[in-house]
Amino acid sequence: MTLSKVDSQLSASPMAPETTFGRIVRFVTGNVGLMTLMILLSLLMLAPALWTIGLSLKSNEELMMGTDAVFSFPYTLKNYLDIFENSHVFGWLVNSLIVSGGMTFGVLAMSSLAGYAFARLEFPFRRTLFVIILMGLAVPEQAVIIARHQIFSELGLHNTHLGLMLPGMSMPFGVFLMTQFFKAVPKEIDEAAMLDHASRLQIFWKVLLPLTLPAQATLGILTFLQSWNDYFWPLISATDQDMFTLTVGIASSQQNFAQSEGLGFLASQAIFSALPIIIVYVIFQKHIVTAVAGGAVKQ
Amino acid sequence: MMKTTQWLVPVTVAALMSAGAAQAKTELHLQRFFGACEAEYGTNTDVSAAEGECGIMTSLINQFDAEHPDIEVKVTTVEWPGYDQLTAQMASRTPPDLVTMHNSVISDYQSRRLILPLDDLLEDAGVSPDEFTSTARAGVTRDGEVFGLPMDTWTMLYHINLDLMAEADLLDADGNPMLPGSPEEMLEMARQFKEKTGKPYLIQILSNETAAYTRLFYTYMFQQEEDFFGNGEAISLQNDAARNIVHHFKTIYDEGLTTKNMDYPATVSAFSSGEGGILMNGNWLLGAYNVESQKPDSELYNAYIAYPYPQLYANDDLYVDGHSWVMPNKKRNKDELAATAAFFKFMAENDYEWSRTGHLPSVEAVLDNPDFQALPYRSDLVSVTTRGKGLPAGVKRQFAIQDIMGEELASAITGVKSVDDALADAEARVNDLLSNL
Amino acid sequence: MSTAQIKRTDWSGFLFILPYLVIFITMIVIPLFWGINLSFQKADLFGPGEFVGFENYARLFNNKIFLQTVGNTFYFVLLTVPVLVVIGLGLALALNKEAPLQNVLRGIFFSSTILSVTVVTLIWRIIFIPNDGLMANIFTQFGWEPIAFLSDPDWSLISVAIATIWWCLGLPMMLFVAALQQIPKDLYEAASIDGANKMQSFLFITLPSLYKTIVLVTIIQIVMQFQLFGQALLMTQGGPNNTSRSIVMFIYDAGFRRWDIGSAAAASQILFLLILIAAMAQFIVTRKKGEQI
Repeated sequence: MTLSKVDSQLSASPMAPETTFGRIVRFVTGNVGLMTLMILLSLLMLAPALWTIGLSLKSNEELMMGTDAVFSFPYTLKNYLDIFENSHVFGWLVNSLIVSGGMTFGVLAMSSLAGYAFARLEFPFRRTLFVIILMGLAVPEQAVIIARHQIFSELGLHNTHLGLMLPGMSMPFGVFLMTQFFKAVPKEIDEAAMLDHASRLQIFWKVLLPLTLPAQATLGILTFLQSWNDYFWPLISATDQDMFTLTVGIASSQQNFAQSEGLGFLASQAIFSALPIIIVYVIFQKHIVTAVAGGAVKQ
Repeated sequence: MMKTTQWLVPVTVAALMSAGAAQAKTELHLQRFFGACEAEYGTNTDVSAAEGECGIMTSLINQFDAEHPDIEVKVTTVEWPGYDQLTAQMASRTPPDLVTMHNSVISDYQSRRLILPLDDLLEDAGVSPDEFTSTARAGVTRDGEVFGLPMDTWTMLYHINLDLMAEADLLDADGNPMLPGSPEEMLEMARQFKEKTGKPYLIQILSNETAAYTRLFYTYMFQQEEDFFGNGEAISLQNDAARNIVHHFKTIYDEGLTTKNMDYPATVSAFSSGEGGILMNGNWLLGAYNVESQKPDSELYNAYIAYPYPQLYANDDLYVDGHSWVMPNKKRNKDELAATAAFFKFMAENDYEWSRTGHLPSVEAVLDNPDFQALPYRSDLVSVTTRGKGLPAGVKRQFAIQDIMGEELASAITGVKSVDDALADAEARVNDLLSNL
Repeated sequence: MSTAQIKRTDWSGFLFILPYLVIFITMIVIPLFWGINLSFQKADLFGPGEFVGFENYARLFNNKIFLQTVGNTFYFVLLTVPVLVVIGLGLALALNKEAPLQNVLRGIFFSSTILSVTVVTLIWRIIFIPNDGLMANIFTQFGWEPIAFLSDPDWSLISVAIATIWWCLGLPMMLFVAALQQIPKDLYEAASIDGANKMQSFLFITLPSLYKTIVLVTIIQIVMQFQLFGQALLMTQGGPNNTSRSIVMFIYDAGFRRWDIGSAAAASQILFLLILIAAMAQFIVTRKKGEQI
């Protein structure tokens, strides 16, 4: 796509807010300038990732003598083959998928229900509960992790998938986010549905939930991501090698001074473990920009 | 006071072991660091064909497994050093059967009865603590009991670039590098080196790392016969011995006789590319640089050698640490105890193989083994196994202390604070830590 | 706007929040009180502790290093949060569109967020470290003296902040994009019919509609950045001279390196209070008068 075509596309949708901003910028640079700037910035963002890919294709021995080696032949897939040779890797991958998938589903379901209730329903202690949950947002993991570990020991939840999912599902962020987004949906939409004698559950499920799809997708990506990269809780809860998540597992296979002696392997592990997230991102990202709200209002 | 947690009285196994062979396989759950390398060594049982810490350890365990059909070995590999995980396992009372541990950490677990003394089990296994080198034995002995099966002794070395030393006229008639015998001589040599080569004499880790400076400091405190840790309950650093060391390395830093601001990986590659004369780093790099020194296109081609830190003060003590296998406190039946004993025996018998990693042997007999003596550079290093010592046995939280020391020493040497302030702060912080255990 | 009452006052609304509430209480509320209890004890992980009252807190307030970590943490929050909010918003406005180029660009700006902290710090180490690093090469090209980003007391925390901004930028951008998508298009159409220009509709429609999201993003970022840990641990180990040591690093060190659980618990409660105050202050200051939650 050429830049001028992008420019005309942007101008062709005068109602989208970004063209408003675009106009401010066009004052100085023109819209093509804005997109060029964005492309340049994105290259800056991307460079380190490309560089990591480069590292992952070099032998550890070569990199130990200096990282300049990235820019010269030979390249090798050995680091990736080494990952697959480890008989545990697929088990760890499955564990991570179960834990991250389960946590994401749990967070989306519970946050949507709670967010809807806080935004639209009236019940006793509603505001008190919301404020308490909001305060939960400020609780750092360190303030609860030791007690959690002791409680989970008592309950026998260590070395189980559920034990890895539960702490992440308690994050108040999702409830907070979904409450905000349900509130952003104009009340007229509920009112119209009420006139059609829809039940509260129907309104939630059929009318409002689809409107919060961008927020759901955002929350879904973030929860999955957070769970996927979580390190400390899995480290101290899943101590059985068969229950390791991918993050803990690949960290365990590094030798003492991996940053100097196993740099290529480390980079290949980073790329490998990022792949599932990229897939999840591509799936959810479609839903983030769907512009559903505008269409729905006219229903 | 804290109630002493329940712990097993070490069982005398002799009687139990004679009770006959087990019907089912006995599971032995090992937990170790040193990384995973299944790709190359996953099924290898020929230890002599393995290289490197990970390869040799993996192959050793494979061989033990193969030689003991009645024992099912289960290995969990953890990220180095693995103590967060181990502590969590102990807190939920699910520790593995055997764990790798640094000797400097043993006191933490031993003092809380989280690991068991091994004396009786070693006796049953036919391994006498007298077989260990004096340094290794001291490293695992607490209150007169042995708490670990020592695998090795390790220390920091001078990794030397002989080409640059030649350029600086610092080789003797035999082509060996001349090493300093006093701080003054070290300064002279370093200045001469800088003048002749234009490069720094030392390559030191000064960024994002605390271990290197601390180990250096301990070595030279020991050499001044400074009893700076007393009985292990408090440190004293506001003395001339400590100031001597810090001022010396500050001078080296201020005169640009060392690399600056490099972190660990940067120093490793800086030495490879000939950016300085002497890299101060551990014996675990011996193998990699040995390989490097055989490549014709390398800066180190036929120009690499390694020595222990030179003696600069009154005596020749060196700070060392070591890796050991320790036995967490948990219930074991007689078969499990027998399996553990068999593992100890196997590891002690194969200590030579482990010494090929660059670590120095913990079993004295290996020192006389011609295979060991034929390994490169080892003849210059064996003295470490008698000269080496760790902090007094009772000192707990040595990893945390190392961080404090390294941080304060670096502050003094790089000039962020004065030498006296840094030593006072280090002393206060370490003693605060120790007094609150 | 219509004031038709669609809310009903009864307990059934409770059922909607019940699933979350159960998890919240068992995973956060109970452990929090358990942790508060621990903060009054001298204890390690392996046995019952001993009650010591406020001694752990007193020790913290007399601990130079702890006070320094509090200062560092505040400085770090100030360095990162405003930048993250402003750049995040700017990117969202520039890229809020369903078009191939914008899609790809959004993906790229989000890409750093998917990396784990190990990889992020690995990358930035190589950018920042002298001799070996990218920045040093650039500085040398221009004939400047390279800055020792990670070992200069004035630069260490700033370097950690730069890496953090690079790493965390995706989240604010995504939240703003999602919020922009929820602004009904009718509002712009109506404004346009009323003769509003684009600048005006930005100021009077876009910004007010984003108001709550800006507050949300700010609070989320405050909460997150107060908990700085992995980046500083892996890039600088808190050095030099503790200039980049954060409160969470202090807690980790006390709890897991020294087994001083009581002190770690006390420091955690202080961190909790600091985050709570900072987030609440933000919430109250920016909340519109008379608006109900």
